[in-house]
Amino acid sequence: MGLPLFRASNDPGPSFVELLETLGFDLPQASQGNLSAHATTVVALRCEQGVVVVADRQATASYIANRDVRKIAEADRHTAVAISGVAATGLELQRVLQLSFEHYEKMSDDVLSLEGKANYLGSIIGRVNISGPGIVIPLLAGYDLNHSRGRVFEYDGLGGCYEKSDFATIGSGSDFAEGPLRLGFRDDMTLDECIELGALALYEAGDNDPATGGPDFVRNLFPIIVTVTSDGYNEIDTDRTKGIFETINNRRAERGGRAGGQLR
Amino acid sequence: MSMPYYVAPEQFMKDRAEYAQKGIARGRSLVAAIYNTGVLLVAENPSASLNKISEIYDRIAFAGVGKYNEFHELRQAGIRWADTTGFSYSREDVDARALSNFYAQHLGLMFTESGKPLEVEILVAQLGIRNRPTKLYHVAFEGTITDETRFAVLGGDSETVKSRFASQGEDVVDLGATLRRAVSALSGPERQIPATELEVARLEDQGSRRTFQRLEDDFVASLLT
Repeated sequence: MGLPLFRASNDPGPSFVELLETLGFDLPQASQGNLSAHATTVVALRCEQGVVVVADRQATASYIANRDVRKIAEADRHTAVAISGVAATGLELQRVLQLSFEHYEKMSDDVLSLEGKANYLGSIIGRVNISGPGIVIPLLAGYDLNHSRGRVFEYDGLGGCYEKSDFATIGSGSDFAEGPLRLGFRDDMTLDECIELGALALYEAGDNDPATGGPDFVRNLFPIIVTVTSDGYNEIDTDRTKGIFETINNRRAERGGRAGGQLR
Repeated sequence: MSMPYYVAPEQFMKDRAEYAQKGIARGRSLVAAIYNTGVLLVAENPSASLNKISEIYDRIAFAGVGKYNEFHELRQAGIRWADTTGFSYSREDVDARALSNFYAQHLGLMFTESGKPLEVEILVAQLGIRNRPTKLYHVAFEGTITDETRFAVLGGDSETVKSRFASQGEDVVDLGATLRRAVSALSGPERQIPATELEVARLEDQGSRRTFQRLEDDFVASLLT
């Protein structure tokens, strides 16, 4: 490809997706099929300090396709984007999104607002899911530097973007993750409390949903926990994540796996 | 019947070159120099928002002098080229030399075939890694491309600034010393340029993927004293 120069009338502006379309690149496109691996459960919670995002590591087809998928990505320093649904398309979508934010920043010498990023993702989803709504569902969570608080955005299959004031879940295990979140969420939670509740919600999803992977003590693979605060995007290290899931697991084992555990 | 008048090709080229050179020399100069841990770009620029220096990619910076709208368009084309190339292949495959060649091709074409040549001179700087060298690619208004291994001066009275910079030593020094050399080369012995009228940026490895960083006025002022 040569130097991409445009006339003012068809200049794609700072949008990377529009640039790809103008240049004739194909956007990631999903087709529904039983053979494609699906990324499953992600939960996100917000508190005063920022947001916490937790995701399992499993990609599931009619078998376990992958045990160490990373469904949460750093879209930029203050934004996390997670995916559920067709894994291949979702991961490609994350890549396009990361590039879009960086492209916008370089082209216009300015950073997109968090709301701008959330809306932009909505319009991409509308296009990616064109062959059938709900093939890839993302979740965007970040720290809003303009308003000094964490914010969580959920999407429907057509690209509709909805801000959640408390928490959001996506993927096949979300029904099971919602229970603990609904009962355990409080407005005045600290970041550490959000991490524990998010981990518990994901543990429940892994326990009940066949497509969601829980903590894997055999392979030392654990759900990924990410925080985004005013200091930026941070993935919690494996040792700490392991400790958090060990605590939950031990508590459950003490009761012989029966219901009636604690929320925190 | 009117006859189309004849202009000798030599004259045609000379006129165009003069036209472009005049436009470029009207502006202020810009210095790019390699220092011990990175690449420094310094421009005299009273505007805080109309930048002459900017980020193209993880390890590539762009600088332009001359007509703002013309190099701004080239800058944007560079970002678009880099981002789509990295998207199609890999981030490692985005190379400053390839980009400079595209710039040279475009400027050369504009010089000979368009209504008027572009009144710009641009620089593509690359911070080296593994198989890629740290390089400054200087592309002139007619598409001539040169690669500099130590420093480059663009625009304004570039010959004078070049000799002033070169006279301060041939060794590679640290960021602060390189900046002081660059600023004294830009200002000359008679005047002082305040930090607020300087646009300064660098490419340096600081632990993240993107190495481009603008230096704030306060930091520049502290390095200059």
